[in-house]
This record gives sequence, C-alpha cells and structure tokens, in this order.
Amino acid sequence: MSIPLLRDAIIFASILTMLSTGLTLTYMTTKVPNFAHGNFAAINAYFTLIIAKLLNINPYVGAVAGFFLGGGIALVLYLLILKPLLDREANYIILMVATIAYDMILLSIINIVADYLSRVHKITSRLFQLREWGYGIEILGQPSIFIIAPLLAAIMVISLYLFLNKTKFGIAMRAAIDNPALAETIGINVNLTYAVSWFISGGLAGVGGALAPLHVTCNTDTGTRLLISIFAASIVGGFTNIYGAFLGGFLIGLAEVLGTGYLAIRLGSWIVPYRPIIPLILMALTLLFAPQGLTGINWSRIRRREGHD
Amino acid sequence: MIELSTISIFLTNLIILIGIFIIISLSLNLEYGYAGIPNFGKLLAVAGGAYFVGAVSGRILALAYGQPAGLSYIDKNLEVIGFLNNVLSSSPLQSIGFLVLSLIGAAFFGGLLGYVASYPAIRLRGDYLAITLLAMGEILWVIADNWQPFIGGSMGVRIPDPFRWVGSQYRPLAVLLTVLVTAAIIFLYLQYLGRSPLGRVLKAMRENELSASVYGKDVVRLRTKTLIVGFAIAAISGALNSLWTVSVSPKDFERVRHTFMPWVMVIIGGAGNNIGAMIGAIIFVTLRELIVFYKYSFEAIVPFDVVWLEYLLMGIALIIVLMYRPEGLLPEKPTRTLSERRIREIAAQVAPEKSRED
Repeated sequence: MSIPLLRDAIIFASILTMLSTGLTLTYMTTKVPNFAHGNFAAINAYFTLIIAKLLNINPYVGAVAGFFLGGGIALVLYLLILKPLLDREANYIILMVATIAYDMILLSIINIVADYLSRVHKITSRLFQLREWGYGIEILGQPSIFIIAPLLAAIMVISLYLFLNKTKFGIAMRAAIDNPALAETIGINVNLTYAVSWFISGGLAGVGGALAPLHVTCNTDTGTRLLISIFAASIVGGFTNIYGAFLGGFLIGLAEVLGTGYLAIRLGSWIVPYRPIIPLILMALTLLFAPQGLTGINWSRIRRREGHD
Repeated sequence: MIELSTISIFLTNLIILIGIFIIISLSLNLEYGYAGIPNFGKLLAVAGGAYFVGAVSGRILALAYGQPAGLSYIDKNLEVIGFLNNVLSSSPLQSIGFLVLSLIGAAFFGGLLGYVASYPAIRLRGDYLAITLLAMGEILWVIADNWQPFIGGSMGVRIPDPFRWVGSQYRPLAVLLTVLVTAAIIFLYLQYLGRSPLGRVLKAMRENELSASVYGKDVVRLRTKTLIVGFAIAAISGALNSLWTVSVSPKDFERVRHTFMPWVMVIIGGAGNNIGAMIGAIIFVTLRELIVFYKYSFEAIVPFDVVWLEYLLMGIALIIVLMYRPEGLLPEKPTRTLSERRIREIAAQVAPEKSRED
C-alpha cells in the first residue's frame, strides 16, 4: 500500500466517522433513518467554499462554524418537522418521508447557492475542491488535512464519549434514549435531550462536510452520493450503538478507499468507478449475517463456543 | 404571444410525462398504499425497465435483422440504429411488435428485479428495508454508468424508434396514445386488484401483519407478489420513457426524480387511493413542466436556475400535507364489496327508519 493511498483512506474514514456517528445518534433518539443526513454535510461543503473563496477566510475556521450551521439545520428538521409529527404519533414511514422532504429542500438550496456562486461571483461551484488549503498547507511535513481531519474526528468522538458518560446531561440523554417514558417520570426533559442530540448530529455532519472539499472534489450531488456510505457505516456498526458508529465509519471508510486501491492495482483502474459498491456489499453482508451490526454480535459467546470445540 | 404550436408541443409532452409518472405512482401506491411496503427503490424498477429496452430489446431487434448485437452494438450504435430505424419506418407491424414485446420484456425484467428485491423485503424490518432498496437502486446506477457493454456507460445508448412509421408529424400523438392507453390499462387492473380479495388482504397485512398471518394469510408470499407486480408496472413506465426519447442513459434516472418524487405524489395525492396517486402525479408533473416552460422568463430576474425551485416547492408541500392532512388530498376509501344500491337495499331491510333519515 502506498503512503498517499493510506493517507486518503484515513482522511476519508475520519470524515465518514463524523457522519455515521451523527446518523446513528439521531436514529437512536427518534428511531428514524435520516435521509437528509448526506445533504447536512453537502451544504457545509458549500459553506466552506463561500468562506474560502468569497470571504478569504481559512476554511479550517469554517469547519468550526460548520458545526453550528450543521447543528442548526438538523435542529430545524427535528423541532419544526419531526417533533410535531412524533407528537401526532406518525409511523416511521411518514417520518422517513418527512426527512426526504427536508432533503429535497436542502438539495434545492444547495443547487441555488451553487448557481448563485457561479453566476454572480464566477466561482467554480460544481466539481470544486479546495486542495490548496488541505494539501497546500503542511503541518509537521504532512498535508494539513491529514492531521486535522483525524484529529477533529478523534476529539469529537472522545468528547461525545465523555459527554455521554461523565456529564449529568449526557447520562440523562442516554436514559432518554433507552426508555423515554421512564426518563420522563424521573424528571428528565426528553424533548430537550433529543433536540440536543439532533444538534450534535447535525454539527458532526457539518464538520465532516466542511472538511470534505479540502480533500476531495465536491459537487451538488455529493450529499446524495455520500448518503449510501454513511448508512452502510452506521448499519455495519450496529444502527443502535453509538460506539458501533465510530467503528463502522472508520471500517467502511478504510475499506472503501483501500479496497478500491487494492483492486485497482490487482485488476486495473477500470474498477475505480465501482467504489460505491464496496460499502453496499459490506452493508448487505452485515444485514444478512449480523443484522444487529458488529457491536450487536455476542463476541464472548462466539469465543466460548470456540473454546468448547 | 406564445404560438399555438408551442402550446401543443408543450401539452403533448406534458401529457406523456404525466402518463409516465402516473404509472410509477400507481405502482408505488400498490406497494405502499395497499401493502404498506416502504419501497424506496423505485429507481431500481423504473431504470431497470428502461435499461432492459436499451440493452436487450434493441439487441434482439439487431440480431433479427443481421446487425451486430454484441459489443459492437454499442460501438457502432448510430449505424445499427439508423439501419433498424429504416427497416421499422416502413413496417408498422414490426414496429408495433417491437413496441409491445419491449414493454412485455421490460415488465418481466422488472418482475425479476422485484423478486430480487423481495429477498430483503421478507427478511428486514421496515426502515432497514427502505435503506436496502435505496442502496440496490444505487448499485444498478453505478453499474449502468460504468459498464460500457451494458447500455454504453454514462454516454448511454440509442434505441430503435417504434413510432417512426406514423411519420414525424404524428409521432408525439402516437406516443401520447400509447402512454395513455398503457396507463389506463394499468389503472383499471389496479382498481380491480384493489377491490379483489387480494387487495383487501394486502390492506389487512398493511394494518397488522400478525393478525393477517393468524388468519392464515401467507405474508411472505403476499409481499413477494406485491413487489413483483409493483416492479413490473414501474419498469413498463421506464421502458415507455426510453421508447419515447429513443435513448437510454443512466443520467435520465436518478434518486430524487424517480424514487423521492413518486413518494411525494402518492403521499400528497392520497396513499391507498389510485385516483389520489394519479392526481399527485398530475399536480407535480404539471408544476415541473410549467417551471421549465417559463424558465427563461425568470432567468433575468433571479441568479439561479429556477428548476431547483421545484424541489423546494415539493419539499414544502410534502411537509405541509404530512402535518395537516396526512391522509392526502383524496383519502383512502373503504372497499365496497357490494354496489352502493345493494348496500342501501340491505340497510333498508335491516333498519327501515334509520335509512330513511339518511
């Protein structure tokens, strides 16, 4: 494996981890797969473009702002659309369709922004990248994105872990996820904890999306394309386990890039465009053999069984 | 003033598109409205039907007339199609045969895809199923976009024109009639299906799978059957679309337009009601075509392509309907197993006074 390929894999895996963690978090709270999650990220990729090209600000600063923009977008979806529907006891299909409606609105905004940027400001807004920032600037002799993306992913994963386990609010949030009715009876504001988890989810997607153009070429359909990898990562990790999402995101990210790279060396470069099939195959295998995901497998039982043989 | 011919072209195109989308939303209404299956893989079926026409039925015709049908069918596509079009333009019978066989073939291929899709559909819970079907649509797209020998990769492929023999002047009208007749047949079939015992069992399964199976209904078989029929119908619509445009290209079929939009149409029109699904299709196809038609009038005012407003309007309309009228514009009606007159007669016998009050 060549060094650039390994680097690609780690950067992509870091971004995917942020995205899959957010998706799993919202699935755990609201029990609805959020089909707009990909475009939470894509809208922030455009936000980064505006920050870097229009305002001439370092896009890494934009990644921090992206946390709040993404969080805000997710919060709107939860508070204005999903919460009222949940109050009316809408079934999961209606909730999924509602996230699709929101996705279409986001997609429309992304395309309008892209048109605006290219027509009024003459900025390349389709198939754009900001690699001059991600790779042009170096930290410790490495491309800055290779340091910052994994670092940010690690910081966010660790702080989410600490938040959920060491703070009072985080523990209340876990209680609200496990059993909303019981949590409510002991005085936990379930609605607030859900809203916060949607904000965190959107924030993670926002940072991931904001970093994406520093590493790869982005387009208006980036969110639509990315969505499948995010779902695959969350499902492989076990859709109802936040630590599974860390694991799934990192595994799918590595498998996608390294798998494609390996196959391209072995079979030829014609295989490269088929890259989206890798996460789908891993997702299909997970659903067939371990529908609860990697974290749902009872490893100790498997080990014990092997011990007996 | 807009010229009359512009209007007639606009209207013909509009009605053809409405017919095509009516077929898609009717098929989704069968799957979701009647059987309650969250099929987020509509793209798989529609594109499957179109790809079948591009990859298989064109090749069969080429083979029949001694033209290259293997790899060189793609390489020499223009020449082969030119030759076939010459043949078809002077032989109505062959043209109609090609059209009908293409549609039937596409339906069979769609049914096959539906059978494949039923594999996860009978094993997975609702939301996992929706994600899996969405992903399967994506796999088909990736393959079609990259595997040259299939339908020419992202460049797409041309297909023989089965409407050439009527003359270029009447071609749009011929397409329009074909689409409308097909849509009407499918509508009548689905209305019949909905009223039949099978349709009522599907609704029972949708309401409560467990109690349906307690009454001895084979839920697995019902789901498989529904998906096969639904996919076959959607595939016909994809095939009609490509026979109309005489080309197939992976970029013609995408997730938002062929998976999400039919959902918007069915939910807003009224799930479980075929006429509602049709009205949904009529509203949104008309909205889109009007936006496209007046696109250039807006161009000077706003600094973006107004086509994107379509998604915005659809999204907002969908959210409003979900919140304030979740049953849709035309809500589902209870299935009448007897005619209305007969029901009144029975009511009059059972409770003479009460029925007089009504």
